[in-house]
Amino acid sequence: MSVLSLIVWIIAYPLITFAIGVLLGGYERKFAARVERRIGPSWIQPFYDVVKLMTKKTNISHGYMHDVAILMLLGGTVLTLYFVPVPGFGYFAQYGDFLVISYLLLIPSLGMALGVGETANPNGSIGISRALQMLAGYEVPFILTFIGVAMKNQTTSMLDLIKIQQAGGIATWGLVAHPLLGVAALIALQGMLNEKPFEVIIAPHEIATGPMTEMAGKYLGIMFIQHLIAVPLELTLYINLFLGGAANWLEYIVKLFVLWTGLISVSMVFGRFRIDSAVKFMWKISLPLAALGVVGIMLNIA
Amino acid sequence: MAKELTQKAAWDRVLAKLKRRSLWMLHYCTGCGAIELPPTMTARYDMERFGIMPMVTPRQADILLITGYLSVKTLKRVILVYEQMQAPKYMVGFGSCTINGGMYWDSYSTIKSLDQYLPVEMYLAGCMPRPEAIITGFNWLIDRVGAGEANSWRDYYENYEFYRKNQEELFGGPVQTYQDIPADGRKFGILEAQR
Repeated sequence: MSVLSLIVWIIAYPLITFAIGVLLGGYERKFAARVERRIGPSWIQPFYDVVKLMTKKTNISHGYMHDVAILMLLGGTVLTLYFVPVPGFGYFAQYGDFLVISYLLLIPSLGMALGVGETANPNGSIGISRALQMLAGYEVPFILTFIGVAMKNQTTSMLDLIKIQQAGGIATWGLVAHPLLGVAALIALQGMLNEKPFEVIIAPHEIATGPMTEMAGKYLGIMFIQHLIAVPLELTLYINLFLGGAANWLEYIVKLFVLWTGLISVSMVFGRFRIDSAVKFMWKISLPLAALGVVGIMLNIA
Repeated sequence: MAKELTQKAAWDRVLAKLKRRSLWMLHYCTGCGAIELPPTMTARYDMERFGIMPMVTPRQADILLITGYLSVKTLKRVILVYEQMQAPKYMVGFGSCTINGGMYWDSYSTIKSLDQYLPVEMYLAGCMPRPEAIITGFNWLIDRVGAGEANSWRDYYENYEFYRKNQEELFGGPVQTYQDIPADGRKFGILEAQR
């Protein structure tokens, strides 16, 4: 990969992901509206929201840590993004495998915790404590599923995983080859994306959007941008591990939207768990599934 | 003579066209007008197709909707909420009670005209306004935002003494608020900027 194309990718990759995130976010809101028999907002409504937030005239800051941590939130997400391979760009992915990604995925949560801590809003603190509890809930099964996948394929590199799945066809896709792990990771992904029934962090009617309570203007805008980048990032993670990666951008986008439709369909028909129920669900359903899957792989059954 | 179209003015015009598509609304529902909002938000009239969405905290909201009468006591809370919102912010008086007191015109405990105490961008007349009227009103507000004419929020920075005097006369003494409005106006360059 030449230096020039590398620079172009480094600049363009977050922007492309943001554009995809805007479409996914708009699609989610349109989908929700159609389920409720409404017309719904524009397809690129999240883009309008971000523009509105970034052009607010006053932006209240709650202190130095508030300013820095909100950049840590966005920076951590963009950094993670570089290590997730997409069709045509896997330069950093060859130097960082899944273990690096699982560490980097923690940075946004920590950044959010530091920033929200300074706003000193009780709703924000509850939101953060919930975010970290949910992290404990979904990270354990998600890491365990990856241990299973790595044992099965004898590699921790995401690029190699994609190559193996692309070469072997649908029979070698993670979801088909080891379905227990695939389902466990799917449940964990629902929690990671903060979709219902695991939407305990934002919970607008309960704790007034939790971490975002005191965020205004540009700060909220950056949180929105982070969210719009994180959604395709986490979906891509799942696609690369369990849905055979993608050979070209068309296939990639189709897989993104199919997976997203499945997840938001589940989200539409559920209410919200309480935080203890949500973590319990993760540890009682998702974790044993993942553990069984790993045992199956160890015994060469599945 | 038409305004000279500088690069900044052109950019502002483009941004205003985008900004009008997203207005988040905080409704302060002490009055009975709140009953007309659920049909406006849900399947029948669907406010979200214009990008108007209910929000739950004043920090995030653009529109503050006062649905109905305000007693002297609740006005104090509304002032705190309004000062927490980030500019540009649009106050919408909803129903007759906010315009001239409505059916509470001779009550000792309610305020009669909201715009004496806080800058109001738009009134929705009626007792109560039907969802059609709300949608029409919000479309008017959207057009104003798109044209860059919705500037009532500047008034609170520029004529702060006027509003403050009225508030203190009503409450019979100084009010404690947590936002230094003139300092904010200077800090974010709102007082210097021309309309």
